[in-house]
Amino acid sequence: METQTHEIAAGSAAKGIDVGKLEKELAAMWQPSEDAEGKPAESGVTRVCVLNLVVYAAHHEDRAEIDALLDEVSEQTPSRALILIADREAESGKLEAYVSTRCQASGKGAKQVCGEQVTIEASGPVLESVSSAIEPLLVPDVPVFLWWKDIPHYDDKLFNRLAGMADRIVIDSLAFDHPHSDLLRLAEILRDQPQFMRVSDLNWGRLTSWRSLLASFWDVADYRPHLEKISSVVVEYDPPDVAPDEIAPQASLMLGWLASRLGWEVEPGGVARREGNAIHIRLSVGGQPLEVEFRARDDRQGSDGLIASVTLTAGDGDAEFYVAVNQEWTKLETAARVGDMRAIDRVVSYEQKTEGQRLSRELSLTMRDRIYESTIATAAGMLQAITRS
Amino acid sequence: MSVATIENPLRAGLRMERTAEPCTVVIFGASGDLTKRKLVPALYRLVQERLVPAEFGIVGVARSPMSNEEFRTKMKDAIVQFSEAKRVDDEVWNSFAQGLYYLPVDIGTADDYRKLSELLDQIDRERGTQGNRVFYLSTSPTLYAEAVKQLGEAGLAKAKDKGWVRVIIEKPFGTDLQSAQELNQHIHQYLDESQIYRIDHYLGKETVQNLLVFRFANGIYEPLWNRQYIDHVQLTNAETVGVEGRGGYYEKAGVVRDMLQNHVFQVLSLVAMEPPASLNSEAVRDEKIKAMTAVRPFTPERVRNECVRGQYGAGSIAGKPVPGYREEEGVAPDSATETYSMLTMYFDNWRWSGVPFYIRSGKRLAKRVTEIAIQFKDAPHKLFGADMMEQMTPNQLIIRVQPDEGITMRVAAKVPGQVTRIRDVNMDFRYGASFGVQLAEAYERLLLDCILGDPTLYARTDMTERGWEIVMPVLAEWARTKAEAPFPNYEAGSWGPQASHELLEQHGRRWRRP
Repeated sequence: METQTHEIAAGSAAKGIDVGKLEKELAAMWQPSEDAEGKPAESGVTRVCVLNLVVYAAHHEDRAEIDALLDEVSEQTPSRALILIADREAESGKLEAYVSTRCQASGKGAKQVCGEQVTIEASGPVLESVSSAIEPLLVPDVPVFLWWKDIPHYDDKLFNRLAGMADRIVIDSLAFDHPHSDLLRLAEILRDQPQFMRVSDLNWGRLTSWRSLLASFWDVADYRPHLEKISSVVVEYDPPDVAPDEIAPQASLMLGWLASRLGWEVEPGGVARREGNAIHIRLSVGGQPLEVEFRARDDRQGSDGLIASVTLTAGDGDAEFYVAVNQEWTKLETAARVGDMRAIDRVVSYEQKTEGQRLSRELSLTMRDRIYESTIATAAGMLQAITRS
Repeated sequence: MSVATIENPLRAGLRMERTAEPCTVVIFGASGDLTKRKLVPALYRLVQERLVPAEFGIVGVARSPMSNEEFRTKMKDAIVQFSEAKRVDDEVWNSFAQGLYYLPVDIGTADDYRKLSELLDQIDRERGTQGNRVFYLSTSPTLYAEAVKQLGEAGLAKAKDKGWVRVIIEKPFGTDLQSAQELNQHIHQYLDESQIYRIDHYLGKETVQNLLVFRFANGIYEPLWNRQYIDHVQLTNAETVGVEGRGGYYEKAGVVRDMLQNHVFQVLSLVAMEPPASLNSEAVRDEKIKAMTAVRPFTPERVRNECVRGQYGAGSIAGKPVPGYREEEGVAPDSATETYSMLTMYFDNWRWSGVPFYIRSGKRLAKRVTEIAIQFKDAPHKLFGADMMEQMTPNQLIIRVQPDEGITMRVAAKVPGQVTRIRDVNMDFRYGASFGVQLAEAYERLLLDCILGDPTLYARTDMTERGWEIVMPVLAEWARTKAEAPFPNYEAGSWGPQASHELLEQHGRRWRRP
């Protein structure tokens, strides 16, 4: 991956951003490179843009990390990236802009496939109006994604303005520093503010392998009757360092998903209880009780906030379905045991996706994710019962 | 395209595309090249991608004696060598290998099928595969009929209880029309058509599937997709390889049997077909056969005037000298087998009346490429002056099937400057550039489709027979005039015989350089 950056003075706090100048500079960067004789090389570049990605970061130090991550993203998703580095602490107003292209060549003499990037650094009062500099830089006719690389401040004016331009907002609930209240707030926003309804949660993406493996148990017709008889669920997770007493958002999402899909309900006035490292809550399904246990396991490195295993038991232990990640975080093990009749185990690779790959995955989705929305709503119901108790 | 597991409430909204029911895949010809290069790596990947459930088994059968362990070791080596993974985690492999079995079977021995049946019942009990079976016939084509007969007589061709049985048959499906019809009649004694999956791996390629999307999900192309706007269509299927040690087979087959009547016709039918009423497998395949039924029959005169055969002589590919076809191992020194063929085809129907489809397929050509080039008619009025317009080539839409899958539209544009000069420019869509994802291996897609019970991308009886019907007069005329074949008539590394270029020139056209 080759990145070509032009730092040009296309903005100032007093005059705003010269959008025309930035576009002109970008256009110049698309000129084909010259061969040894100074003629335009035949292989040239292919300018591709399948979406706009607006990235918000709160710290200047994030820029290097974002650049590295976008190198990876643009391999799969050539786009126009508009990076806004917002220094909210600074008192003085600042507005600077840089343009750059990211190119990858598929082979010697082959055309380079390139995406482009505009980085805007803004601080102080300029932040009030910086969204108006971003809007005209959006490439028309392709979707706009907002990646809010921070805890979403739903009441923040800048967040609201950028979210208003976006077709989809990418967040990461793994980074919630108050897992319970942040998730409850997210549920409220999803319920009350339909303009924010298209949300991509990177943490939800991390659950895909788990959900897929759990779902596959009941693709087998023989096992399906047991799904209605689930009587207990245990979710083990590594508690988040920032809030070790709270349930990791990923564990809440897992339970929220199971409960919303399978019609499990928090019993009216449902009470939760804490026993050592575990939080228990009683749900009901079709009038039958269902015990849920969130079990914190702080015994692994590098797995902060992630779930380690999910076990579902049907009836009085008639059947058990289990998915767990191994200690090294490289493999997922599944097991289905139905009475004495059958036990099928399987080990599959746990494809550790990089953050760039995860983000790319989210950028390929444009549909409203109603399963996620109902998951959040159900998880919030459980968390309310827990916080009440 | 059908199938899913709607009744599983946890499946809804999952980003994984599709999953399948428990089953056992039985591969006949398990010691062959296809099994190790393609089939087992594809099945391994389906398991890793969690597109098939844990309740899954694979049985390799072939004549040579081998234990389960020996077979597993061979398959592990094959996956390391031929799949992208290049390394296999031991624990993951052991989990996969638990469901991998081998049974020595002589295709013609009834008792071996009894043993196979017992093994499959045992796998059903141990692995919960529920009596669902896919039999993949990857043996010599001469054994297909016997294998199906034995499966039928052993009771393996019919499903037990609520299960299902499907049989995948590799190409070539027959060696001519008569043998294809006989094979169809024979296997229909034991299998319903709905159980038969005639595989053509070209249909598993992403770009071929994209043809349907491209044509029928975009509103702008379909109105132009007819004789009013299209001057002609060129379909090129070029290989740089020679016969690769398969001289004996190729001597009997030739390019028409090997490539044209199956792969190329499948792609052609997707270009020429009418919009199907739905994506239901029968609706799509009905439209494909309807289009192929409209192909104008080849008369001896048409074969002489509108078709070209060729055979490569010595030459060079990518700077490396290569021998001529007649110097290849297993090939007769005076062989008259064609390694290149070009047909001018017409669809005598409302949409395509009078539009020639030039089809060429050959070995040892300049470049490995499969593409469809739709050439549109000239602009009706030479507004920018005859001289200027003469330099222009008409608009072309190029659909590249392999390699570098994508679509290019060639249009005229003004060269910037004070005078009006016009130049061709390409509007490019490349899969790799826009999606940046590794395209799935065709066998993976097709195996999964079969397990899911979706035959859309498989050839139906009528299509295989129609393919033969179309080419039989060509093969007959070329056989009759075998002695006149001016072979070799093209140099390895070229774009085929001069006669094929001359034929297009006679029509006032020229081959595109892919």
